[in-house]
Amino acid sequence: MDKTDPTRQTKTRTKKESLSREERQKQLEFQNEAVGHLNALYNYALHLTMNPSDAEDLVQETYLKAYRFFNSFERGTNCKAWLFKILKNNYINRFRKNSKEPGKVDYDLIKDFYHSIKDTRSDTSEAESDYFHSLLHEEVYQALHSLPEEFREVIQLCDIEGFTYEEIANMVESPIGTVRSRLYRGRKLLRNQLEGYAKKYGFNNDNDQ
Amino acid sequence: MNCKKAGVLISASVDGELSASEEQGFLLHLSECKECRVEFDDAKKTKLIIQEKIIQFKAPDALIVAIMQLTSLNTKEPHLYE
Repeated sequence: MDKTDPTRQTKTRTKKESLSREERQKQLEFQNEAVGHLNALYNYALHLTMNPSDAEDLVQETYLKAYRFFNSFERGTNCKAWLFKILKNNYINRFRKNSKEPGKVDYDLIKDFYHSIKDTRSDTSEAESDYFHSLLHEEVYQALHSLPEEFREVIQLCDIEGFTYEEIANMVESPIGTVRSRLYRGRKLLRNQLEGYAKKYGFNNDNDQ
Repeated sequence: MNCKKAGVLISASVDGELSASEEQGFLLHLSECKECRVEFDDAKKTKLIIQEKIIQFKAPDALIVAIMQLTSLNTKEPHLYE
């Protein structure tokens, strides 16, 4: 009798420990795989919501969900793409349904936003004579946001986040061919927009010297 | 390959998303067609501008802390420290 009690205790203890070890491992793995994408997710959320505090909420919600359903994440696939998809779904459910018309851009907000948040990128300002390089961040940002959402979205996911067409197709739930043509048309539209800005600020396309 | 067909492939080529055979046909067309070459360069440039000019913000510290806490909520291990 004296013997059984301690054995039992050890047993329950082992069980308890292994459970929490599992949880710990999940936590570690999650932090390794998912937390590194925090900045990218935050930026994506900002682009979608145009509002820093909404963006924070959205990112938190995304991580909460991602952690809860981390077991359903297919190991070896792109975790960033998986997180983006969750965030996008959250965004649609939470903000889009009852909110403002999509595609409506608040330029004042963008401006405020630009002035209130620190730039984390070291500016790679090579002395480019090309007039496109003379464009300001803000102008490019506005040009991008003036595009219809379906075009803006694929450009963002491809050029800024570096996803493959397959990953983008999965995220926007459209065939790869659609992603292709949206990127093609979107870049053309964007090009026109940027030319508009360039002209407005006095740069000239024919200036080749 | 004609210009119409090549046009559709421009963006995918910029992104390195063409199959080998598509790429071959596309490059052949580019070598023969100045207009498409110009469009191809434009598309490349547009991508570059987006990459260069769109600022990536750093997530606020409070958010980082919140996320880290969130992932360690379920990991109380009292017996470890008892």
